[in-house]
Amino acid sequence: MRKVAVIGAGMTKFVRRALETPKELSWHAAKMALDSCELTMDDIEATCFGTAPDAFDGVHMNGEYASDGAAGWGKPYMRSYVGGGTGVFNPIQGWYHVASGMFDVVMIVAEEKMSSFYPHAQAAFVTIFDHTTERALKPNLLWIFALEMNRYMTTYGIKKEDIARVSVQHKRNAAGHPCALLGEPNITVEDVLNSETLAWPVQRFDVSPVSDGAVAIILAAEHVAKRLTSKPVWIEGVGWYLDSAYWTNRDLVYPRYVEYAAKMAYDMAGIKEPRKEIHIAEPYDPFDYKALHHLEGLQLADRGKAVELYINGTAARDGNMPVCPSGGLLGVGNPIAAAGLMKIAELFWQLRGEAGERQVPGQPKRGVAQAWGDLMQVGTVVVMGR
Amino acid sequence: MTLLERDPQAPAAWRGNLPVTSRYTYGIAGEKFFRALKDEGKIMGAECPTCGITYVPARAFCERGLSELTEWTDVGLVGELHTFTLVFVDYDGRPLYEPELVGFVSFGDGGIVHKLEADPDTLEIGMKMEAVLKPKTKRTGSILDIQHFKPVK
Ligand SMILES: [Zn+2]
Repeated sequence: MRKVAVIGAGMTKFVRRALETPKELSWHAAKMALDSCELTMDDIEATCFGTAPDAFDGVHMNGEYASDGAAGWGKPYMRSYVGGGTGVFNPIQGWYHVASGMFDVVMIVAEEKMSSFYPHAQAAFVTIFDHTTERALKPNLLWIFALEMNRYMTTYGIKKEDIARVSVQHKRNAAGHPCALLGEPNITVEDVLNSETLAWPVQRFDVSPVSDGAVAIILAAEHVAKRLTSKPVWIEGVGWYLDSAYWTNRDLVYPRYVEYAAKMAYDMAGIKEPRKEIHIAEPYDPFDYKALHHLEGLQLADRGKAVELYINGTAARDGNMPVCPSGGLLGVGNPIAAAGLMKIAELFWQLRGEAGERQVPGQPKRGVAQAWGDLMQVGTVVVMGR
Repeated sequence: MTLLERDPQAPAAWRGNLPVTSRYTYGIAGEKFFRALKDEGKIMGAECPTCGITYVPARAFCERGLSELTEWTDVGLVGELHTFTLVFVDYDGRPLYEPELVGFVSFGDGGIVHKLEADPDTLEIGMKMEAVLKPKTKRTGSILDIQHFKPVK
């Protein structure tokens, strides 16, 4: 397999309701990514696009619809879709396009316009459940996460005020992000605990906001990357894994789908001791407890102990292993597929030392990004290094 | 009645739906295009100076190079009939009371698919077709602000 590098990235602002159509959001991100590494459409040999359920954008086969903005014209083009895991699977699809030797330069675009779904994007999720056993109960993701969070907290005896630290840290980190929707430099644990209860124990500020946005990156084979940039960021390992589609047959306390995806990626990257070898982590954080769950699945904390990384400062931007220095979904926003790819873009900027106000100190060498989705049972993981 | 309902051996079934309601925005190009149609009764195109392609309806960007399209022009209300069909059934497969004429009227390097108002026997591919707009007070900023296309007399 050939070595694959990220050589450019672009990102729109994440907003509540964008004027731009899904095509236009994709175009902004794709154009920014091209400009960032001084390439043109002629240099792009293939394009990989990602969005989550069509219901959000309100266009069935959104991949085909958005293809002109997503740099798909005249290219071998395909949309991949693994729900919330899409944004980190997308670059994996691009990676094997290049690693296989088929293409030298590939554009990756992820877009989501959640504001289209009316009145609230949450209701779109009723369309993903089993029509016979589940849909009649009108389930939504808040239910499922509330059930899972309760089980996780109770099993390990984790306090809600400690889980709230995750939300506080991510939203504070996002304050330095020019694309962020919810950067809040002064938010406190009390603010989270005093926010509206949505489905106990989940409260408003435990959850990432519905948003619109797009992100794009450009991948290149080693010989091209070295010619185009002095600072390529390598994709060192990739992994993805599916657990049972029945959430009643999954371990709600420990995300095995993340563990197996992470082990696949670490093996490829030659990582034996992730806690020493990973310098920045961007776990998927649509809910605050989910970041903890995922840090444990990523083997970056013992089971039930991830919250200690927040309590003892390890996860802080200037800590030993900064977690979500981007601000994550909780702070920057959660346009599903775009939010996952944002984590890849963040590692690209952080590892090149180009993250501006968000830059973590100490010239980090290696990071891991992870997303999760489908019917809440897929894990997607990418390890990047310089 | 569907085949399933007619067949006494068919498995038991119930009806459900995927409740999806969307609130769309016009977008960068749509805001401009539909404002011109509604307020000025104009069909706008956008030309890419690099490719020499004129997109109708006008777009915000060229799909070939991703450059922004800033050169918008009024392409007039008359285009050329590129192709047409006479439709006898609706999308549920039911016969239409009156068959409907649908055509693709080309403008620039693109065009508009819309209803035609004409005697089907008089239609010829390549003939000039003119957009008939709703009166200004009835226009809402929709593709239906164009009522239909008719042959140019
Ligand atoms: Zn062009």
